[in-house]
Amino acid sequence: MTTTPIAPPDGTSVVTAAPTDHRGSWLPTLSLITTRMMELRRRRGLMIALLVVNIGIPATFLIVRLVAHAVAPRSYGPAGGYSVFTGLVAVILYVFGFIVAAVVGCSAGSTDLTDGMFRHLVVTGRSRVALYLARIPAGLAVVLPIVAAGFILVCAVCVFAAPTKDSYSGVTLPAGLTLSGFEQWAAAHPDEVLCNFGYSGNAAISMPSNCTGPGGSVQIKGSSPPTAAALRASAIVFAQQDYQSYSNTFLKPANSLMIATGLWLLLEATIGFVVGLGLSSLLGQRTIAVVLMIVLEIILTPIFSRSRIPHLINFQRGFVGLAMAHIEPPALPLVFGGDMNGGRPRGLQLVPESTEVAIIVIVAWLVFWTVIGGWRMVTRDA
Amino acid sequence: MTITATSPGTDGPGVDQQWAVETHGLVKRFGDNVAVNGVELLVPRGCAFGYLGPNGAGKTTLIRVLLGLTRADAGTMSLLGYPVPKQRDDALARVGAIVDEPRFHGHLTGRQNLQILAAARERAARDRIAPALERVGLQHRANDKVSKYSMGMRQRLGVAACLLGDPQLLILDEPMNGLDPAGMREMRDMILSLVAEGRTVVLSSHLLDEVERTCDAVAIVDRGNVIRQGSIAELLAGASVELQIECSEPDRARGILDATRLGAEVAVGPNGLEAKLPLGTGREAIAEVNRQLVEAGISVYRLQEVQASLESWFLQVTSRLGGSE
Repeated sequence: MTTTPIAPPDGTSVVTAAPTDHRGSWLPTLSLITTRMMELRRRRGLMIALLVVNIGIPATFLIVRLVAHAVAPRSYGPAGGYSVFTGLVAVILYVFGFIVAAVVGCSAGSTDLTDGMFRHLVVTGRSRVALYLARIPAGLAVVLPIVAAGFILVCAVCVFAAPTKDSYSGVTLPAGLTLSGFEQWAAAHPDEVLCNFGYSGNAAISMPSNCTGPGGSVQIKGSSPPTAAALRASAIVFAQQDYQSYSNTFLKPANSLMIATGLWLLLEATIGFVVGLGLSSLLGQRTIAVVLMIVLEIILTPIFSRSRIPHLINFQRGFVGLAMAHIEPPALPLVFGGDMNGGRPRGLQLVPESTEVAIIVIVAWLVFWTVIGGWRMVTRDA
Repeated sequence: MTITATSPGTDGPGVDQQWAVETHGLVKRFGDNVAVNGVELLVPRGCAFGYLGPNGAGKTTLIRVLLGLTRADAGTMSLLGYPVPKQRDDALARVGAIVDEPRFHGHLTGRQNLQILAAARERAARDRIAPALERVGLQHRANDKVSKYSMGMRQRLGVAACLLGDPQLLILDEPMNGLDPAGMREMRDMILSLVAEGRTVVLSSHLLDEVERTCDAVAIVDRGNVIRQGSIAELLAGASVELQIECSEPDRARGILDATRLGAEVAVGPNGLEAKLPLGTGREAIAEVNRQLVEAGISVYRLQEVQASLESWFLQVTSRLGGSE
């Protein structure tokens, strides 16, 4: 170790006047934010997990589908398309994206304590609130671009590798037909429509002899083989009832859906990070905070979103997962077991909540966990 | 909590105050345990000040209270003339400190850790990273991960972190820990050079020999109380006087000295007679010992006053030897 002084030892004091940098301010400086970003980015294991879940898993899934379709196009459908998009968003990007963002938040909230840096930072005199708040933009600057990159990859493949023909109820047919066009196509393909489409109306219908019909209480006309005209008329009746459902299936996700879904995923990742940050700051350690976040996401949220518990309905409405489900883009399947082809299956209903209340709940969660994490940071013995 | 602020200097806080650290009646409790018990401490500016005490005496707790790492339960304190906690931010702007063992982000390099700490200080702190690394001798290992650093290297990195704020006051808690003899000497030289630049260094250590060589003044803390403070020379002047006496009849000489009113504790050792005179005994008592022996017909071949060391004095005044203080 050398003993070279910072300033030349000319016998005079090198001590300078105290700086006036407003370090008591609770606003974090840009350099504070950028160094916190650097600290997170250098956590190799964390970054690998973030990349694998948000980019690696969707990329692997899509590559396998691309290769399989290229090798055996009759056996394997196109890699992209609307249904692939909704499935990846609802299962991988939403759930695992939240968990990984929460893990990053939990790490950011506890790393200074566990590594012993908290004390060094407090001794600088910098506001503890500023030290805490600096982690939010820093962490989001790390998490959100990776979430966005994974989502853009999914969007790109789902758009550019989308099927050229639509598949509805197992029948390949042109996409984007109007109601009259759909009726005309049904009249031209009565056997395919009557044998495959669903029907639950009261009209008496004619069925081809080679299929059993939709079942249930549907009335079947006569016992002799129906005429071609009767079959076409029945196919048109089927088409009229199924048009609403057909019109909700797309070859590829619409631009508006992708934008809304992207913003929704970014909000979900933001919530995961901010809540994880606050929780780990409160607890002072990472592991328990991560476990609690996983429990929140994959156990408590599904239970409290679907089961109406008497006397606890308002408590249930306070869950951020329920609020996020309520502002989910409508064309997506409900997360946690929804219909992967889009739409909302019967019997899978959320605890009711207005959009306004959902937004208030989300904002309240972000504010509450930021305040609670900052408060613990300020009051904690270093 | 009954903390009240002390007044800053009249010509601007932190500039003309005589004391770098000033505490009055400082108390910190952990449940029933009083870790800091009414501490009155005055650390003059521009000196190396040793803060000594046995394990569990409350040294680190006092440092943590001073730095605002934990709250005091009662008392007043100021750093560099700024009342704490009222103007803690202003005070800490010119304070560098290592508390307990220095720990850093192990996955980052030494330089990156300093960048994080510099970002929490003023803009100029970033320009001090390279000189600080060079000063503590880590410039060649600055880009290695801290997880690969030895304890001694982390100590040096801790000192470099202290220097980022161009501190007027450095508070170093056991800075010699983990250093080899050469490293300890370099650390000592560095502390002295910092003091020579006009900075104040408060040094907490159990290595009394190092403190004696490094510091101008010390405070002894025991069971949360500061029981002595002042310059080392003044304090040792008040220590008990030890004499080594080589004489013709040691056993009879022992009896003679036991019978006097000097209050000496006398024992026959391998090097002759060893007599310990009470605290505050003047040099005249040494002449009296010699006179008594000679008048009794005992030949005195050698009578030597053994210079009291900080270690022996420390052991006398702390509870290690019975806790009479």
